[in-house]
Amino acid sequence: MTFRIITATLVGTFLATSALAEVAVSQKDSKWYTDAQARIDELAAVTNNTNRAKNVILFVADGNGIGSNYATRLWVGQKKGGLGDDHVLPQEAFPNLALVKTYTTNGQTPDSSPTASAMNTGVKSRNGTVNLDDAGDYEDCNAAAKAGLTTFSEIVTDMGKSVGIVTTARLTHATPAAVYAKSAHRDWEDDTKLPEKCAQKDIAAQMVDAVNAGTLDFIMGGGRQHFLPNGITDDEGGEGRRMDDRNLVEEIKSKGWQYVWNDETAKAADLTKPVLGIFEASHMKYEADRTGEPSLAEMTEMAIKNLSANDKGYYLEVEAGRVDHANHDGNMHRTVTDGEAFAAAIEKAASMVDLNETLIIVTADHSHAINFNGYCGRGTPITGLCYEVDDHGIEHTGKPSVALDGKPYTVAGYLNGAGSILHQEEGANDWTGSRPDLTQEQATDPDYLQQALLPMTSETHSGEDVAVFSTGPWAHLFRGVIEQNVIFHVMLHAVTAE
Amino acid sequence: MTGLPRRSLILGLSALPFAGVSRAAEGAILLRDLYNKDLSFSALAEANKGQRITVDGFMAPPLRADSNFFVLTRRPMATCPFCSSAADWPTDIVAIYTKRLVKVIAFNIPIAVTGLLELGTYKDPEFGFVSRVRLADASYERK
Repeated sequence: MTFRIITATLVGTFLATSALAEVAVSQKDSKWYTDAQARIDELAAVTNNTNRAKNVILFVADGNGIGSNYATRLWVGQKKGGLGDDHVLPQEAFPNLALVKTYTTNGQTPDSSPTASAMNTGVKSRNGTVNLDDAGDYEDCNAAAKAGLTTFSEIVTDMGKSVGIVTTARLTHATPAAVYAKSAHRDWEDDTKLPEKCAQKDIAAQMVDAVNAGTLDFIMGGGRQHFLPNGITDDEGGEGRRMDDRNLVEEIKSKGWQYVWNDETAKAADLTKPVLGIFEASHMKYEADRTGEPSLAEMTEMAIKNLSANDKGYYLEVEAGRVDHANHDGNMHRTVTDGEAFAAAIEKAASMVDLNETLIIVTADHSHAINFNGYCGRGTPITGLCYEVDDHGIEHTGKPSVALDGKPYTVAGYLNGAGSILHQEEGANDWTGSRPDLTQEQATDPDYLQQALLPMTSETHSGEDVAVFSTGPWAHLFRGVIEQNVIFHVMLHAVTAE
Repeated sequence: MTGLPRRSLILGLSALPFAGVSRAAEGAILLRDLYNKDLSFSALAEANKGQRITVDGFMAPPLRADSNFFVLTRRPMATCPFCSSAADWPTDIVAIYTKRLVKVIAFNIPIAVTGLLELGTYKDPEFGFVSRVRLADASYERK
């Protein structure tokens, strides 16, 4: 923009403002108008926080693209008795936001390992790899030694800070693994899939190394099977998978850590000491099915209490790992109920920390092939059938909208996945099908799979942008459309700012 | 469809004073109604132990061709390469032992399975598959 254009624009704005002052605005008492004016006042009062960040909390809801976040907003708002759309999730109240490009060095569509790597190392990398530069090849046992990247947790540990991980996925799964491991294959979670005589250790074994190196101080999530030897059963009867006879839980306990495995033992933990919590053999349960395990908010609270004891601060990564899995299942109910649990964890964290010294970042690693139909009236259940707009009122008419086939359809749908309406009949070459008729009771059932187009065994990720919401020191650096690896650089800038 | 005629089943179940009866009266029990949230057996399951019942669900892709065994899942079992290994079965499933060789139905097509309800941990000697709820001598059909 040239100076002349700026001058012209400013003059134009001044004239418009002057002109506006003389006009009686008929809508000035509208609640929409006054609410928006109040919001402008709030935004105008926001000042940049340029303090050095003592603490950084990175919230990642796996697979929670803008669409899934939207669905969760409506779900929570409707559960509270409202129409849903006007609800504000805790992360949506943060003052700073950017859109994030999630592609990887070889994937227009990413998976969760290079996206977590981007946030934890500051560079993009190849699909399927954890914290490796592209100089190290996928599935190459020498890649981690040759091309392993320095992690944010290693940097802040060197600064004297503590590091914690909380996740509802397996602790060895891609997003938490990127806090402490370097692996040429995301599936090398234990030694059963690791090639023989591989120069790289499996991901669970690397967690023990991180504990020994002091780059991990608090750990809670799922995935006991990767830490226990085959032949050993855990407290809930699940079997260990390791073939090297190592019991990594015992190894970590021997370093003075407490081990907890259900909600009761977690509640009894002494939070002044390091805690290893592993609550399931594989992933923790979906929030909708949870029993006997702490919630994501409870784990986050325990982590902050533990890590806050360090005067030099901490880095905590909190992952809602199963928003992604529910989307893969094509099951909106569990997508939004795990999204709701994610929001509760953010709210809990924001209430516990001093935002003058704690940078909170809320994002997703990638999006999904989810989308939304129209034209639905307000208050339409977000997991259910689309109800028609009431042309003369506010709330929907209660009458389902129908497609050209005369059948109702849900608000949300997937481009592909297990909910596909296409099936291959025995002996047939083609996949054919028609949409089943549907009642609201069926559509809002917790186990319902929204209709999908392409038949696939699992719904896919998508490459569309995700959002990053932020508050605290240097959160104002999040603006515009950014590359995903920039998130690391905001964290680094915040903890090193003079 | 073999076993008790559907009408007899409906009459048998509709007399039961338990949650889920309304669905049972419509002809089938939902798989999730056999379990409580903590995965203990529901009152409905205990009441029907040893009885021939019909359960709605989905056929997980069979572990082996030409067998008399498959796993009934509560929702279509999406096999996401990033989510779970083959060893990670959902916890709320029903093992189905069929009268005849299993003819595969796609994993996402609703089916109704009728068989003798067995409760208690059992490890299949052939597959090594551990189940807690089974339908034996079963037959099934698309819904």
